[in-house]
This record gives sequence, structure tokens and C-alpha cells, in this order.
Amino acid sequence: MNQEKIEQYVAGQLGEAEAEAFEAYCVANPEFAKQVEFEQRLRAGMAEVARGSTAEFVRANHPLASRFAMAATVLLLLGAGFIGWHTWGPAAIRPVLTAATDAPQTIPALRLAQVRGMADGSALQNATVRVEIVGLFDTEYHYSVELARLRGAKHAENVATLYGQRPTSPVTLEVLLHAERLRPGNYLLRVRKQSTDEEPLEFDVVKN
Amino acid sequence: MDFIPGGDLTRRIREGDSSAEGELIRQFEPGLRVLLRRRTGGDIGLLEDLVQETLVIVLRRLRGAGIEDPDRLAAFAAQTARNLAIASLRKVERQRTDIDTEATDRNADPGRSVEGRVNDAEAALAVRALLRELPQSRDRLMLKRFYLDDHDKKDICIEFGLTETAFNQALSRARKRFRQILEERGFTKRDLLSTFL
Repeated sequence: MNQEKIEQYVAGQLGEAEAEAFEAYCVANPEFAKQVEFEQRLRAGMAEVARGSTAEFVRANHPLASRFAMAATVLLLLGAGFIGWHTWGPAAIRPVLTAATDAPQTIPALRLAQVRGMADGSALQNATVRVEIVGLFDTEYHYSVELARLRGAKHAENVATLYGQRPTSPVTLEVLLHAERLRPGNYLLRVRKQSTDEEPLEFDVVKN
Repeated sequence: MDFIPGGDLTRRIREGDSSAEGELIRQFEPGLRVLLRRRTGGDIGLLEDLVQETLVIVLRRLRGAGIEDPDRLAAFAAQTARNLAIASLRKVERQRTDIDTEATDRNADPGRSVEGRVNDAEAALAVRALLRELPQSRDRLMLKRFYLDDHDKKDICIEFGLTETAFNQALSRARKRFRQILEERGFTKRDLLSTFL
């Protein structure tokens, strides 16, 4: 048994049989069980602190430090991309979300804005689309754009996440969404200011 | 396994050796607490009751008929605790229905006892102390992503530009410090053995 198993158990991520085996192991191994109990208390304590507000988890980032972190993220992604390219070849790399920088203006655009009373998701055609996300953005920060497929009312399965995106203006952030690579269904597009705890912007989109 | 309460311990319990019973309680209690904490929704009073009840059943069984395979004693105790938790949950649900019918106590939080709230408040104090000690806002956000937002480790590493090893080391330091704070403030659990025997 290792720390990862403890984390999975405490987070409720083990299947029933595996959880029962884990519990029998805990009962037979008191020192291990104490380790698990501290993890349970840590999680409960975190939840208790966050009950009113998550402010204690967040403090304004130093812009320089943030820039270093972003630079490191970009380098890491570039490294991962380089390895992936050479390992699996170009044919296998078919990202769903890509940066819109330098993309031709002829690509059709889809504008997403949070409008009160607009409950229905925007429809996606079976083609690449330039998604223009309208909101208030901080041009000094990077943003991540995440696409998740909705399964039922609560479950969302991550399809793609694009990190390190700069807004094109204080009110617009653009990415390319290769909708032809998506299966039909309901999706959630989430835009998050990286390394901060600001509430993300969320948009429903539908691929028919 | 580090500990297998095999034939010797069960034999001694059957022969009425109270030190063997104490040994069994010390061995089983932490694991039973883990199992029951998960199933009692933060109700520490109920958790303590169920731990005691489980140990009573296991000891009575060992004093009497015994169990067929002594090596399966831990699994037997775990299953007994699970059964008791299920039975208790059903009882609570029935009681809650009665209370709703009488339209009373609507503002109470029925899932958490006073002891449960105290226990969580102690853990929260330790978490707050831990958060204050963390010099980097990044470390605090990482903890939030992991424990509150339930983000995948890989995603957190990408977001913060960390290797998984570095992330695990940061988590490990946070856990160690959390444990130290709890111990320094005397917020570790009381010894059940002293109340049981």
C-alpha cells in the first residue's frame, strides 16, 4: 500500500472491492491506519476552512513569479509536444483546442458571451471554428481553456485543456476549436485565469 | 501485512487473557476509525460508538465460538464495522423521516454532531496554521486544487509547472506539518482503550 492508494481511498476513488481490501489492510496495520486518518482529517480540515470562503488559499501572485511560472509551463508544454511529435508522429497528434495566434481570418468565428437568460448552448458545425470568448480579461495573465464533454447532469469528462493563452484584448480571448474531431454531444468550455482562484467563465456548446 | 492477529492472540482471548484483548483493541482501533469515519459523515460520536460496538462483537466472538480462519480476523472486524455502519445509517434515516414529519429541528445540520464539528474545527485550525506558514501562494493554491477542486495531479503539475515528484514532495511536506501542528496542539484523538476496558 502506498500514499497514492491512501489519497484515492480518502477521495473516494477506489472501487468497492478495492476499498474493502484497503480497509481490511488498515484494520490489520494500525500505523498505516493512523497515516490514513491524518489524510482524512487534512481533507476534512481543508473543506471546513473553505466552507465560508476560499480566500485563505489565495494571495495575490507576484507578477514576476507568475511570469516565470508561465515560462516554465510553456517550456514544459513545448518539451512534451516535442517528445510527443517524435514519439507518435504528426498523424497521431490531433488536438481539439489550439492557439488562435496567426490563424487565418477566413476561419468561421463563434462568439461566446455570458448573456443572462441565454440557457441554450451555441451550436458547433463539423469544422474548425475560431472561438471568440467575450469577458473581462487581464492581459498580464495567461488563461487555460478546457473543454469537457457533459454526461448527464453532473458528470463532465475532460476532452482537452489548452494552457498559457493570452487574451487578444481586455475583453476577448480566442482559441481554435477543431469541432470536426468531436463526437456529437453537449460540451462545457471553461476559461480559467491561471495560478489564481478566480471563478472560471463557463459556456455550454453543442456538437450536433 | 505488518500484523496478523493469528492463532496465538485468538487463543489467549478465548482463555480470558485481558492483556490479549487490550492488544487486539490497540491493533484494530485505528483501522476501524478510518473505515467508520468514511461512513459516519463526520459524526465523531457515532464513529466512537460504532468502533466500540465492533470491538465488543469481535471480542465476544473470539471469547465464544471463535472464527474459522484467524488470519481473516482483520477482514472479519472490518466487515462487522461496515455492517454496523449500514444498520446505523438506516436507523438515522428512519429517525430523520420522523423528525421531518413533525416539522422540527429544520435548521440543524443532522449529518454532523457537536463532536464532529469540534473535530473538523480542530482540523481546520491546523489547516489555517499550515496555510499561514506556507510562504508561496502557489503551494496554497496547489493544496486547494488537490483537496478541494479534486483536480488530477497531472493537470496540477502542468498548471504550476512542476514535476510529479516535486508536487508529491510539496504534498508530503504539507501533510507532515499538518500532523505536527495537530500533535503540538493536542488535537490528536483520545485513547479509546482507556474508556473501553
